Amino acid sequence: MRRLIVLPTSRAGWGLLIAFVALVIAGTWPVIGLVNRATLVMGLPLMVVWSYLVIFACVAVMLIGNHIVERDDHE
Amino acid sequence: MNSPWPLLITLTYVAIAMVIGLRARGARANRADMNSLEEWGVAGRSMGPITLYLLIAAGSVSAYTFMGAPGWAYSKGVAVFYVAIYLAYLALVAWYFGPKVWAFGEKFGHVTQASAIADRYQSPALGALAALVMAIGSVAYAVLQTIGSAYILFVMSGGLIPIWLGVVLVLGCIAVYLYASGQRAIGRTNAFQGVLMLIVAWAVGLWAVHSATGGLSFAGVFERIQADHSEFLTLPGAGWDMSFSFWTTSIIVSMFSFMPPVWTQWMSASSARTIRRSATWLPTYYIVILPMVVVGFIGIFSLPELARADTVVLEYAMQHLPVVLVGLLGAGTLAASMSSSEPFIHSVSLSLSKDVLQPVLKLSDGVTGKLARLLILPIMFLVVAPLAIAEPGSLVMILLVGLGFASQVLPAFIGMFFWPRASRLGVMAGIVVGFLITVAFTTLWPHPLGVHAGFWGLMLNLPVFVAVSLITPATRAEVVERFFRIAAPRGFTRLG
Repeated sequence: MRRLIVLPTSRAGWGLLIAFVALVIAGTWPVIGLVNRATLVMGLPLMVVWSYLVIFACVAVMLIGNHIVERDDHE
Repeated sequence: MNSPWPLLITLTYVAIAMVIGLRARGARANRADMNSLEEWGVAGRSMGPITLYLLIAAGSVSAYTFMGAPGWAYSKGVAVFYVAIYLAYLALVAWYFGPKVWAFGEKFGHVTQASAIADRYQSPALGALAALVMAIGSVAYAVLQTIGSAYILFVMSGGLIPIWLGVVLVLGCIAVYLYASGQRAIGRTNAFQGVLMLIVAWAVGLWAVHSATGGLSFAGVFERIQADHSEFLTLPGAGWDMSFSFWTTSIIVSMFSFMPPVWTQWMSASSARTIRRSATWLPTYYIVILPMVVVGFIGIFSLPELARADTVVLEYAMQHLPVVLVGLLGAGTLAASMSSSEPFIHSVSLSLSKDVLQPVLKLSDGVTGKLARLLILPIMFLVVAPLAIAEPGSLVMILLVGLGFASQVLPAFIGMFFWPRASRLGVMAGIVVGFLITVAFTTLWPHPLGVHAGFWGLMLNLPVFVAVSLITPATRAEVVERFFRIAAPRGFTRLG
């Protein structure tokens, strides 16, 4: 039991884990440093546009996750 | 402000919220049902995806969105968007953990976070400790929201409703429907408040943009900020205090703060699938933050001499917006603060009854259910109300320490979802070390090297938790197996 740990058991599960980690990296340093510029995109600051891109990417990843979970039929 | 409309609109909102809250118990539910922890505490695990979406969304959007966030935009700039990002990450957390927490509750009868901890580690003492310390942060949060509510009534009434009366009025209103309908009242009122906030935020934001620039595009506002105050468009912000490290560690600490009301909200869902569906769309709600923050940016050039940054939206609205919109802003802000304070009051009462008083006084479930309902009254009127009226200067500090602690409970959840070897003593040791570091780095030496105090706490907490767990006895195998049949239905991976 000492060395047991919960990790994904399928390729799709690993894909989801990697996507979740990528989302967290996208909203934090160092990635956030790359968009830290005083420029406007579609009339909004780049930081604001990037923040909402990350936010809506979360929705997209969870939608894919729902598809995987319901296809594999595990809660 | 001489018009009676803002106050009338705000009070109409309060009346509607009360009616919705009182009717939430439904025709079928009788008094006996509401005295059960399952019914009053987690709404009989009955909430559908839309109610749950609005319940969690409105609960997480506090008065901060209508006052604090525009204030941050006004004083610091885009740094405020760390809040929108961590709220979206909380949806990821809800998507993964929510269905498992729901299954624990449904199979093992948990109605609180602390009862799940007590069960996993077979330690009522650890459950009581988690309940008590989580209560500190929760009460401080409810007090701050109540102060916000009373302030709104004070402003909307032109000073006619003093702060003490506003506190009593708001808490009295919440007490009536919370006692009558419990978690069902929170679900229904939050659904109403969630929709109201979204409409008000965009109506006020667009009107403010039109009055400031003559158009409806946010571009006019930001082009002016870019030309004259470009430091507001990047980190570390105009206040020079939001470094990359503070942005990053604040997001991570907030993401791993499993607050008890959120846990209760997950357990109120009708199924595990309901939570996943609600969590999936939850980030879309956070477009509510954008228009309010834009008003904060407008304030940078319209109200340059403002004494209190968090009044920027109210000040701008009272100077430039029609009275009806000012009234709606009052109602929206009040909705934000009430929808955030009531889950915390409910969860403190539920957890103190179930996880502290029941094991200590050896009460039956029936008596504990009645006690949980009654306990909201002393919590509201003997703790929250006096603190809200007195507005102690250390309140924000209590809140920060309380929320810092919330993230230090992380080892308890690692042992529940990922690592079966986690022991009771390992969790306790990790929490104590993490809490002490968080307190020290919040009060004595605030956020060393620009890293959030809670993050420093976790960096020591987690190694201590692992080390102590490995040298102390694990929880009984049958209990661990019971939990991990849900947490890891497809088995484990062996390390090394």
